[in-house]
Amino acid sequence: MSSAHLTQVRKWFFQSPPAEWAIQQLRELLIGALRLGPVPQHVAFVMDGNRRYARNHQIETVEGHNLGFEALARILEVCYKSGVKVVTIYAFSIENFKRSRYEVDALMDMAKVKLSQLAQHGDLLDRYGASIRILGQRELVKPDVLDAIDRAVALTSGNDRAILNVCFPYTSRDEITTAIRGTVADYSKPFKPALKRPFSETHITRNIRSRQLSIVSEEPLPLRSTSDTASSVDADADDSASASTTPNPSSSTSVTNKNPFEDNSNPPDFEPSKSAVSNYPDPETITSETLSEHMFTAGTPPLDLLVRTSGVERLSDFMLWQCHQDTSIVFLECLWPEFDLWQFLPVLVEWQWQRKKAREREAISVKAQKRGVKLQ
Amino acid sequence: MVGLREVSAFHHDVLPDGRPLTVQEREDILRPYLPRPPRTSSLAKAPASTARRTSTKPHRRKPMRDFLKNQLHVLVYTAIHTLFSIYVRLRRACHAIIDRVFAILYYHHRTPELIKKDVKGLSRLPQHLSVILDFNEDGHNGSGLEDLVNDVCEIAAWSASAGIPILSIYERTGVLKNYIPQTHRSIFRTFQAYFGRHKPTLSLRAPHLPSFSPPSSPSAGSTPGHLSILLLSADDGRNTLVDLTKTLAEMSQRGKISPADISPELIDAEISESVMGEPDLLILFGPDVELKGYPPWQIRLTEIFHVQDNTSVGYQVFLRALHRFAKAQMRLGR
Repeated sequence: MSSAHLTQVRKWFFQSPPAEWAIQQLRELLIGALRLGPVPQHVAFVMDGNRRYARNHQIETVEGHNLGFEALARILEVCYKSGVKVVTIYAFSIENFKRSRYEVDALMDMAKVKLSQLAQHGDLLDRYGASIRILGQRELVKPDVLDAIDRAVALTSGNDRAILNVCFPYTSRDEITTAIRGTVADYSKPFKPALKRPFSETHITRNIRSRQLSIVSEEPLPLRSTSDTASSVDADADDSASASTTPNPSSSTSVTNKNPFEDNSNPPDFEPSKSAVSNYPDPETITSETLSEHMFTAGTPPLDLLVRTSGVERLSDFMLWQCHQDTSIVFLECLWPEFDLWQFLPVLVEWQWQRKKAREREAISVKAQKRGVKLQ
Repeated sequence: MVGLREVSAFHHDVLPDGRPLTVQEREDILRPYLPRPPRTSSLAKAPASTARRTSTKPHRRKPMRDFLKNQLHVLVYTAIHTLFSIYVRLRRACHAIIDRVFAILYYHHRTPELIKKDVKGLSRLPQHLSVILDFNEDGHNGSGLEDLVNDVCEIAAWSASAGIPILSIYERTGVLKNYIPQTHRSIFRTFQAYFGRHKPTLSLRAPHLPSFSPPSSPSAGSTPGHLSILLLSADDGRNTLVDLTKTLAEMSQRGKISPADISPELIDAEISESVMGEPDLLILFGPDVELKGYPPWQIRLTEIFHVQDNTSVGYQVFLRALHRFAKAQMRLGR
């Protein structure tokens, strides 16, 4: 009985105005002090532990998610005040759709409500806000939530001081697949050859043929593209054979029409199809930077720090591509709704300390090298 | 920190007397907690509606106060970092002592039976164990390579004794791939020291290189299992994905596939066949969790284990990792 009374007294004390003011000043002081050292440019959070927190404190799971949202707001405040440029959070995984329908609907509702509330505070966002970006597969989300998302994104798109990436719904493997698909699609677009004269050969031949064959539908156009993809004139036959065996439905209809036109189209096609391969960008120029630029996080600085709460020590399909090199990954035992400056501060300080040590070591080795060069 | 009444009002979007919260009232609740607006934007736009002076008037320069504040920040910063250095050194000393205690308690004595006894109580064992090792290039006379091969032999012996069938060893520079026969011989000798006559069979390979498994492995009598070791390097990480993209781009240019055919299952099948499947447990023997170029695709659901401030490859780290793995729950999104 007395211990319950004591916690009441403590609560009353910490929520009284003087104590509140003092704690607020202390927070400002600590954050201001940390700004002087190296600060991570891009931090990622996995917000894990809402449901466990709700279970431990005997409250509703949805209430746990609400408290999680507040913890997120607190941490964002800390991060942006410390000078972090980009914060990425793992809001919802594609695997989470397997949860109970009630919970998924509740989460979607919460997202919609929070985003529409956000959209009402336009000028406040312009002054302090970060630009919000939503990363993930949009097709899996219901249209009303998509509307709220698009509105919030459009509203904040003008801010350039900081970025908040919300991964919703997101899986890292899906992101890598999309990046690969995007790169392959980019590299499959033929170059338009530079025109020496303002008349394009394809345009002329198309005109002639459309006049000759006015009864045919739009088939000739995809025919031209499939004949352009032939790597050389003599390989045309091979390619038409292989093209007819692909399961791709769109090319099969054009393949059947191809043969009657091939004799007519060969002479004017001779020039472009011979150099058709050089019409495409060379796949050898694809590097990991190309893939990084096609990821959802393109244009952001490299990931410096990844924090996962609730004691789970896995990556769970989050930022696999981005964190595979120098990112410091930190696993914390506390649950997400309890996460605050006091848990995050040691992580930041340790990160700063490690960076300072690394810089000192580099400076020492550079000096040693210079001395070695001078001696020689 | 926010007052209690304001918290509940913000939460439920409703004031204590039942009225719904309007936009302006929400902003008023938030206003004291917002940071000072940055100078450029407050001079450019001057919002006229509110009465609070600090947020509407252009920021008055108070040089003395700013200077004092700055000095205070510098003081606090140096204080924090000094305290932290002391704390880190204490922590390292503590961990080193605990490490030694564990090492003595759980010494394996090169007896597979002891190792088997240690893992008998575990509810599950990883089928595919992965390890990240560091190659110390600054070691004199190639001792870095020797240490690395020693570590590999020890880890292989422990995995074989514990009954883990697949072991993959990641080392960023990939120097071991040039010394596969020698490594195989060293591991063989270590197995002899541990197991005696009934050694488990061993196959050592690296992706894109042929498997090395000399025909002299004994087949008579009880075969206490087989251990296949996979050597990985930084090339098997992002670069493999880049190579796969190049191949897919070429195929798409020739019209053999279309970009819409590329799915996670296709990439998964290709990568697991060419490099490796997904490991269940990844053990890091360094002081913090840094992946150093480990293949990104496979590590999706891998349990990652490390011991803070640990610097060397030790049996107690291995054992603690297995214990931790047995306790971990896989929820897979649910």
